[in-house]
Amino acid sequence: MNDLAIDLRGVSKKYKFFSLDKVDIQVPRGQVMGLIGPNGAGKSTTIRILMGLVHQDQGEVRVLGRRMPEEQIAAKWDIGFSSEDLRLYEAMTLEWHMAFVRSVYSTWDQQYANLLLKRFGLRAEQKMKGFSHGQRVKAALLLVLARRPRLLVLDEPTTGLDPVARHEILRELMGAMADEERTVLFSSHNTQDVEQISDQITFIDRGRVIDSFDKETYLDRWRRLRLEVPPGIDLPALPGVIAVKQQGRIAIATANAFEPDLPNAYERTGARVNRVENMTLEEIFVANVEHSREEVNA
Amino acid sequence: MTDQTSVVRQMVWKDLQLHRPHIIATLVCGAAALALLLLKHEGSTYFGAVTFFIALILVGCLLAASNILNERKKQTLAFVMSLPISSIQYTTAKLVGTVLMFLIPWLTLVIAAIWLIAVKGVFPHGTIPIALIVLTLPFVGFCAITAMTLVGKTEGWNIAANVIFNSSYSLVWPFIAGTPSLVGDLGKKEPVWNGAVLTFLGCEFAAIVLILAITYYLQSRKRDFV
Amino acid sequence: MGHSFIISQSDKRPMYLQIIEQIKQRIAVGDWIPGQQIPSIRQLAVDLEVSIITVKRAYLELEREGIIQTRHGKGSQVAQAGDLGSRLREAELAQHLEQVAKLGTMMGLGFGDLEERLRAATDQVFDKELK
Repeated sequence: MNDLAIDLRGVSKKYKFFSLDKVDIQVPRGQVMGLIGPNGAGKSTTIRILMGLVHQDQGEVRVLGRRMPEEQIAAKWDIGFSSEDLRLYEAMTLEWHMAFVRSVYSTWDQQYANLLLKRFGLRAEQKMKGFSHGQRVKAALLLVLARRPRLLVLDEPTTGLDPVARHEILRELMGAMADEERTVLFSSHNTQDVEQISDQITFIDRGRVIDSFDKETYLDRWRRLRLEVPPGIDLPALPGVIAVKQQGRIAIATANAFEPDLPNAYERTGARVNRVENMTLEEIFVANVEHSREEVNA
Repeated sequence: MTDQTSVVRQMVWKDLQLHRPHIIATLVCGAAALALLLLKHEGSTYFGAVTFFIALILVGCLLAASNILNERKKQTLAFVMSLPISSIQYTTAKLVGTVLMFLIPWLTLVIAAIWLIAVKGVFPHGTIPIALIVLTLPFVGFCAITAMTLVGKTEGWNIAANVIFNSSYSLVWPFIAGTPSLVGDLGKKEPVWNGAVLTFLGCEFAAIVLILAITYYLQSRKRDFV
Repeated sequence: MGHSFIISQSDKRPMYLQIIEQIKQRIAVGDWIPGQQIPSIRQLAVDLEVSIITVKRAYLELEREGIIQTRHGKGSQVAQAGDLGSRLREAELAQHLEQVAKLGTMMGLGFGDLEERLRAATDQVFDKELK
């Protein structure tokens, strides 16, 4: 059995106004992969391709060792999927949906399902049309979590949710990770969630993967340096620095390949380093996208 | 791991449950129409039969639309496709489910018609072959509409299919009426199963098989399921 | 065994550092004693709702500093070193002193000035304790 839960190589897909271009993503078993990107970047398309719902034009897709979309039936037995635009049947109750899922999957854990009902604050006898947005998202997630699938593929699981609901969901996602055989891939443009629970992060923008690293290494590579530049000094381009914004004597350098010697390198040019700051994933997200778009346009 | 036919069965059952109100409504209407036919009054007999025939066709059209198009419209398609099924199995589940729902009013009508002719003697027994031919037409039409809606995926295709096949009846009936070998033996006391009748019935059956074959072929060529 | 770690996202420091600090704190105050079993990496990650890789990094760092030890199949424990608590306190004090020295240099204060300030601060703390 393959060590990779998800293995996309050179995946391309062309639509009229958008195309996915040679996407490579590997997620080892037992890890959480966060997919970040602006709206329309291709996160949902990538997820659909790895679910076998959309056939790639080029490239190899293997999920839990199965080729997609040819072996999608076998794969989908072990995958739990939910997406932000997914709806359940409005005229039916949550209980009905639970019974339906239970009738298909033998791995359904009713005890855990009842626990989730309590934790999520949901009423099984209520019809779906009476659920609020947040309750609907949690209901869809319950239907997926109670099966204890080996792979969870979630497209925007916390989007549009209040902080309490978000926390409830993150708690269950991490709860699933107590089992080292389980893997999670989720997409979000909520960088806080990705920063918190992801082991690996992949950035997508305009159909291309622009970065893919393990989170700790990644966060370590990015720094913001606040500099004071005396008059007459021109800041040189230093390796590892992707952007410098200067106004008068104050400059801010953004580095995506930070080395411990970098502040000294600036000091040697005559500038003074006031502070070296870590960046949040959100700040990295924006800087990264801007930088990669500049590179493409250049 | 449950086997695949069981998953398809669960999906068909799910669709039947979702349409329970429709199914009950058609059963009730069917029973009412039948009761009307039992009055044996010339006017009401014809009135009941024609009304029921029309209602049948309408029900068929609505069902195909509802069962197939709603998954896309109401955005439940992703939920269904995340189940362990292929698009071919989805096709099967939708076809079986939609046809089953249609069968309820249709079989009621067929049974009522045969019973009225063979048991109650409203019409001579010679009319049995033609009754079968005429009653099978909406079933063929329904299969065609369902197939086109499933493959076309949009409301536009559903409407086009409805227009094409529902208006085609007006072409077929005169043809039937104008074919002596089909209508020549209407007055007889016993049903006459001549070559023409059998050929026509055979063609109807073949049409259904052809529709299914084309549907599965076209569905298997699709590369995107959502 | 209960524990109440708080990982704050508004804290500018990386999460793994926060974990390290809070573990050190528990050892320093004696809540976690040498030889005591501590949560596995996976278990702590689940409890804190934080990625496994982050907890792993914290544990690796703590292991390198000799504060905890992880044995294959036996999980992780607080290191057996007897003076662990006081060692951690020493490290904390050294860190603070270094900061004082840096600030002092930046402000242009000599050792004498710093000594004065330290005496004043110590007196203040003792006064408070007496009350």
